[in-house]
Formats: sequence, C-alpha cells, structure tokens
Amino acid sequence: MQIMKLSRYGEDGIRLLFGDSINLEIHAEVRRAYFFLKSLDLKEIIDIIPSFRSCLVHFNSEMTSFQKLATFISWMKPMATAVDLPEPKTYEITVSYGGEFGPDMEFLTSHLKLTEDEIVEIHTSVTYTVFTVGFIPGFPYLGILDRRLSVPRLETPRVKVPEGSVGIARLQTGIYPFDSPAGWRIIGRTDQKLFDPKEEPYSFLQIGDKIRFLRI
Amino acid sequence: MIKIINPGWLSIIVDGGRYGYGAVGVPASSALDRFAYCILNHLVDNDGRAPVIEVMGGNFSFMVDADVTCAITGAMVMASVNDQPLQPWTAFSMAKGSVLTVQDIKEGFRYYVGFSCGLNLEAIIGSYSTNLECRFGGLEGRSLRKGDEITFKDRKMAAPAEVPERYIPSMTQPHRLRIVEGPEIEYFTPDSIEAFMEGSVFTVSGKLNRTGIRLEGNPLTFRKELDTNIISEGILPGTIQIPGDGLPIIILHERTIGGYARIAMVAKVDQDTLAHLKHGDKVLFEKIDMTEAESLWKSKQESITFLKQIIRRFI
Repeated sequence: MQIMKLSRYGEDGIRLLFGDSINLEIHAEVRRAYFFLKSLDLKEIIDIIPSFRSCLVHFNSEMTSFQKLATFISWMKPMATAVDLPEPKTYEITVSYGGEFGPDMEFLTSHLKLTEDEIVEIHTSVTYTVFTVGFIPGFPYLGILDRRLSVPRLETPRVKVPEGSVGIARLQTGIYPFDSPAGWRIIGRTDQKLFDPKEEPYSFLQIGDKIRFLRI
Repeated sequence: MIKIINPGWLSIIVDGGRYGYGAVGVPASSALDRFAYCILNHLVDNDGRAPVIEVMGGNFSFMVDADVTCAITGAMVMASVNDQPLQPWTAFSMAKGSVLTVQDIKEGFRYYVGFSCGLNLEAIIGSYSTNLECRFGGLEGRSLRKGDEITFKDRKMAAPAEVPERYIPSMTQPHRLRIVEGPEIEYFTPDSIEAFMEGSVFTVSGKLNRTGIRLEGNPLTFRKELDTNIISEGILPGTIQIPGDGLPIIILHERTIGGYARIAMVAKVDQDTLAHLKHGDKVLFEKIDMTEAESLWKSKQESITFLKQIIRRFI
C-alpha cells in the first residue's frame, strides 16, 4: 500500500498525495480514497478532485478547519480498505484516424518515424485506464500511452478543436468532449458523446474505467 | 420578465457555483466577485443562491414588465432608470415598463444585477451558473443577447437598503493580491520567488477570460534540474500556475485540473478582486502565511455578517 501524504492547498483545500509518478498502483489508492471519502458524504466537503496521484479535497472552511478535517481523514484512512469500490466499466470507442479528423497525424509520422498505420496500430493496441476526468467536464486523461507515441504538447495550443477530437501528449491520450481549446496533438475523432449535463452521472467515463480504441 | 435591450460586452447568468462533480471535471463557474454576489442577493432580499446577471462593459440595458426591486453591485457603474441616475450597491425600485441603462464603469470590471422577483431559470447540475465553454447552465448555456426575455419567478419587492460606502471594496489598481505558498514553490529559484512575492509589478495581459488571467512582467526562473510540467492534478480557484515561459496565469472558476507548477494561491480574502482585473492593470503580490490568510478570511466573513445586519438600518 502507498503511503498517504497530507498537505494544505490554500485555505480550504487538502491535498492527499499517494506517490510521485504515473502508475496503476498509485492510482488505485487515489481511486480508493476518493470513493471512500465520497461514501462518508461529509457536509464539510464541498468537492473532491481525484487525479493521477492525488485527491484534492475542497472543504467548507466555515464548517471545519484543515486541522480537524486532516486529523479525521488520517484517522479514518485505514478503513478505506473496507469500502466497496464500484467495478470499473470497460468500453470500446471507435475513432476515425488521420485525414481531416487528425490534423497532427502528418507531423507525427515524420516526428516519430512511424507510418500512419503503425501509429494507429500502437494507439489501438492498449487498454487504457481513465486516470482522471477533468480540466473541462468529461475529458478523460487516459494512460498509459505506448512510449513510441510520446510527443510533447503543442508549443501554442489550438484555440479550438472539434468535439470528439482524440489527442495524445507524452504518455497520455484523451478525448475532447466539447469544441474547446487543445494543447494535445490530434490524431482522430470519435462520435462517442462524453458529457451530458442533463443526465446523471453526466460524464460517460468515470475514474478507473477502461477503454480500448477501435479504428473505424 | 426582464427583456435585454443591450447585453453590454458580455453578460451571463451566475450564482454561487456548481459543486460536487469535480471528479468528472465540472467546474464551479460561479460569480467571480463572491462578495458582490452575496451582498446583491441580500440587497434585493433573495435567498443566497439566486441567479443574477454578471456583466462586463458598459452599454448594458434592459426593460422590466413588472414592478421590481433591483440592485447593482461589483464594479462602480454610472447607471440610470429612465434617465434618473441611480446609486450602485443600493436597492432601488423599477416600475413596470421602465428601462435600466448602465452607461459606463467608473471603477472595477464586472458588475452584478439582481432582482427581488427572482429569475425563472433551470438549474443544471445543481446550479444556475453559465458554463460558457461547454454551453450549459444559465440561459441556454450562452451569454445574453438583445431581445432575450427571462420571466420573474414571483412578485415581491424588497425594502430599501444601502451598503454604506466604507463597505464598498476599492477596485482601483495597482491591485495588491495577498498570496499563500503553492505546492510547487520549490520549482523556482530563490531569487525569482523573492522578486515575485515581494513587490514585482505584473501587468494584466490581453489574455484574460473567466478561465484565467495571464500576467506579463519579470518571468519566474525554474530551477535547472526540474521539468516545468507537473503530473496533472486538481486545482482550486485562485491557483497561480507558472507555465514554461515563466509568466503567471491566475486560474479562475472554470478549471478542475492543471498541469503547470503551482507557485502560490491568491488568498481567499483577495479572490473577489480577481473579478476586476482588466487588460493593462498593474498587479503586485504579497506573501502572507496561512494563519494570517485564515484570520483575514474570518474577518471578511464577520464583516459580511455584520453588513447584512445593518444594510437596511440606515435608510
């Protein structure tokens, strides 16, 4: 089990840190802590943002203090092992790769010295884990991308990419749920709807879910 | 109902924020000046979660089709009802058929308009706030347009009320923002941290919106051995991120995850000021410790409680 480090984040945040790298063991601890804290349903907690290696707990500073809540969380932590974790779901998502749907494909073939078919082959060969959902609603940070496809983000992000754009950056891949600004390299597009504000649980994907991409 | 005659530069519906779904990336999208929002609802005698209009820029006007008590808080505006000048931070009545016009802003950037009759809107994910980027909440997930009509929820007027002048926050620049240390403060050289936290003057760039405010000035220097990116992680409003170019970005209420080093957070006591930073304004930071930040926030909360008690007493 990973050791949990607790620290402050501004006046009304607590950062629970479970490690300093991207891997599935650390992430499993984050996910466990998230569902555990959520199951307690504390009125003092406004929101919880789980990600690769940490949970950020946003608390109501009028109802509790960092000291009180941090002590409580440390005290309750051993009980997290008993929480019933929701079973991660597995989805297949179909993608149209390259061409007008993947404006960065040409750059990637020359930069990575791979053909388009090889890039698609590598991208579709991995079962990805949803490490976190966010920055904008429903955006899944998926890992772990094969090292052969690792590229830096764009120096200057695009002002707008279309909804459904599939991007890669470093060891991650993701899908833009809305027309939005984007710093990742776009290789394809999917029709899968990722976020519906009218229907709970709003996001198609939840932390811990598994995804495989299929080429159309 | 209110009917928008002119939406100003940008006007949207906001409330106290959308919470509880940070785990799927849903940001708060709340009113940026929380003090102004809170006092506004009190002036027009609404419950503390009522939707109001957040406006940028002058030349904003609307008509009402019923008698209503109205108020404007936030930026200090020059405004009138049917050519009768009105006082901001004051509850005033509007008769059926009258037109309110905001001509110009004297000080500050964003102002808030609220109504005693409430606005008939649908809460999405527990909030009326507009998520402009993802097009949900508020009025059809978009900014207000000429001709838009929003019906009133009920028919009630509020008693006269006024915020005493000494309680109206100053919004003049240079904006002094008190900050507390962020998780990645050690990513930067001691010299550049010192300069950043002790009076280096930054200028608000043209890149600012509800998502964040980019500043220009002396770039921060990263310690050589460190990568400038961090593993993406949860963030809260007021976080100051430093991307590779060393220039600060202050994150507002539209993001849940960030991937840049977080040098500091704007102390909660000064976060309302962020609503009033505009292109070209000067900003300077002053580091305080957490104990001070907490006690400043506590005093601010106490003064809000007190203000709510006296708001109707002086009339």
